[in-house]
Amino acid sequence: MRFIKYSLLTLTAAIGLFSCEKELPTFLSFESYAFANKDTNVGNWKPILLTSATEISIPPPSTVTSEAYQNELMFVKKEMATMSNAERQSVNYWSDNPAIRWNEIALELIAKYNLIPGPNADGTYTLPNANKPVGPPAFPFANPPYAVRALAYLSVAQFDGLVSAWHYKYAYNRSAPFKQTSDITYAYIDNNVPSYPSDGAVIATASRKILTAMFPLEAEYLAAKEKEHLRSLLLSGGNVQSDIDAGRQIAETVAAKALARATNDGMKNAQASKAISDSLAEAAFQRFGWKWENVEIPQRPVGLVPLFGKVRTWNLPSVELTRPAPPPAIGSAEYLADVKILQNYANNVTADTRRIANFWQDGTNTYTPPGHWNEFAKEFIVKYQLSPLRSVRTFAYLNMAMMDAGISCWDTKYYYHYPRPIQTIKGFKTIAGTPNFPAYTSGHSVFSAAGAEVLAYIFPNEASIVRDWAKEAAMSRVYGGIHWTFDASAGTKQGIDVAQYTVNVAKKDGAE
Amino acid sequence: MIKVKILLMTLLVVLRCGISLFAQTPSDAIMMKKKQACVLVEYNHGRFDQYWEGSVLRKNRTIATVKRNTVMPMVAIGVFNKLNLYVALPYISTASSENNGGRFAGVSGLQDLSLAIKYQFLNKETTKGSFSALGTIGFSTPASTYLPDYMPYSLGLGAPELSYRAITQYKLKNGLYLRAAAAYLWRGYAKAEREYYYNNGSFYTPWMDVPNALTVDAAVGLWAMSNSLQIELSYFGSKSTSGDDIRIYNAPQPTNKIEIGRLGIFGHYYFSKLQGLGVIAYHNQVVNGRNAPKINTTGAGLTYVFNYLKK
Repeated sequence: MRFIKYSLLTLTAAIGLFSCEKELPTFLSFESYAFANKDTNVGNWKPILLTSATEISIPPPSTVTSEAYQNELMFVKKEMATMSNAERQSVNYWSDNPAIRWNEIALELIAKYNLIPGPNADGTYTLPNANKPVGPPAFPFANPPYAVRALAYLSVAQFDGLVSAWHYKYAYNRSAPFKQTSDITYAYIDNNVPSYPSDGAVIATASRKILTAMFPLEAEYLAAKEKEHLRSLLLSGGNVQSDIDAGRQIAETVAAKALARATNDGMKNAQASKAISDSLAEAAFQRFGWKWENVEIPQRPVGLVPLFGKVRTWNLPSVELTRPAPPPAIGSAEYLADVKILQNYANNVTADTRRIANFWQDGTNTYTPPGHWNEFAKEFIVKYQLSPLRSVRTFAYLNMAMMDAGISCWDTKYYYHYPRPIQTIKGFKTIAGTPNFPAYTSGHSVFSAAGAEVLAYIFPNEASIVRDWAKEAAMSRVYGGIHWTFDASAGTKQGIDVAQYTVNVAKKDGAE
Repeated sequence: MIKVKILLMTLLVVLRCGISLFAQTPSDAIMMKKKQACVLVEYNHGRFDQYWEGSVLRKNRTIATVKRNTVMPMVAIGVFNKLNLYVALPYISTASSENNGGRFAGVSGLQDLSLAIKYQFLNKETTKGSFSALGTIGFSTPASTYLPDYMPYSLGLGAPELSYRAITQYKLKNGLYLRAAAAYLWRGYAKAEREYYYNNGSFYTPWMDVPNALTVDAAVGLWAMSNSLQIELSYFGSKSTSGDDIRIYNAPQPTNKIEIGRLGIFGHYYFSKLQGLGVIAYHNQVVNGRNAPKINTTGAGLTYVFNYLKK
């Protein structure tokens, strides 16, 4: 009986231990911090789509002694006095660097929509349709090219909006509500940034507009997020309503400009017809004697976005500039050596190769490789205490470089149309899912190398680690069994090459 | 003579990716006597070519037919007449049939080590038969570094599990019996090898919350041929208490809300001439489910009962 009692006691203790459910993180938690850069004069900075910081004009703010402003201040006080707990949490969540939150929202929507359409009962495939987004399948399929493009437009609109806002903040120099009266306590650290126009409002409205265009079925969700965010600006003690209104005015213009570019950047033609897709395969076959084929059952008739290589780049003048030399011919000594390497990895999966293949896999239902690099950027932004302006600058160059990298990579993929290992190695099996597009060069390698170069430029202390990560990401695809080693090595070099064009633009934008 | 009967572990648990796996929770009403032990070695083969994505039953030629082979040794020990201890450790190997579109490699290795103690609270003899009530507490935890986030090939859920089971049985003198059991399964966290996953929202962690579950099972059986043959028909149901659905044409993951209903037939024969030796055979079929494979499993094994201490 004593044995029984002890057993029960032990188990009860174990239950106690195991039953405390952990809080699993759903966003990055951070304390507000002192911004590393003040950037009080950004009038000469070069935005991406706007001609200058002053292209958008906003009316001068009312003076702080005016009745209009005093009424606004009263309103802030009144609302803050009756804040609910949920609103307090909301203020804490949105923070004074809310581009981080909107980047997380973008990544969440990417993961949510990153589902490859399955076959219909008759063996055909239906693709998402922007004109009928409900589907099925729902629009969009947020694959890596789609994802990086959404992130690029989001970040560029945020950056241009904040360059404009930051200029007017110091041009008009109206202090924040919490500086006007001791009755208002600011929710975050005081960074002495003037409040008119509200940078948070620029971020909220520009982000909502871009993401709504990219994820049309999420219009309601995004509008609710924007509303909550805008209210948190007021309740933080950092903005009066006219600060917010002026920020939104900048956001409307800058988002419209970004979306006008997006409409005509060629993405709508990227998912080519079967006829065009077949002609690309045939051209490669004539030129090189090989062509990639999808081996799924039933076979997918067209690869993923065959004409993404024709989408308008941001900073890369032409995809031919960064297209690598051809891969080894199928059957050549170099090719056969790679077959051996791949078979060896497949037959000897180690704890390390499995971990690396999975860590970087970023496949369907995840934020994709570009999303992964945004995640790294986010962590560095907080670690190095970047201001909202410097944060969106980081995201903008990162995502422009990665979108250009994707375009360059996709040009290469469909130009060479090189087979995947499962197509040419008999009986070959993989631990990662083989994507629906040609192998050479590896998208992970190109995206990651480009992302690493931009992060190395902005966070020089992290240069060697991010470059190591990019190489590991490239090799992860070889360990996964879905890429040749030359897909990875040529892809890494290609990503580095593409990124230089963006880094060169960044170096001259006035921020240095 | 209730000698031998301990064995039978009902194949309890279900798996994710839904492969039903025998987590051998001792869920029957049979007790081993003090100083007795029983060793079971069984092999089973499970396969499915359909699964429920949410509540929709579908095929998927990316994975084609998924096969799952298990070899499981188990030991049951009569610590006291009313208290038994169980230890089991299955070795599993998984793979798709050859003609598949995904070309994924299967995996093999040790799955979960499970330990359980069963205590008989009540055993009331009447003129017509006997009524017994038992409770089992079990614990299982991965015994190797298998990756739970590799469904449907993953060997198991990759999370520790505590199970609390109540069992009642009514057995007639003529050998017929009815058994009903219910269990609550608490499950911990499975660790993926990625830092982000989607579970109706973003999660920035490799830890996946594996839903807890409730299970019920009901059986009708018969001891025949002078207690040398046991046959049983059973229904087993399991339902996660939380979790998300498998997303369209996407792989399952350990966070999924799993439901299954399964029918089974089981037989155990004890050789009269070979003291202590027995054979088992069973088949079961999942008949309904959610985020689970519609798997058929057939198994067979040998049992050997002996006294580990002199009486």
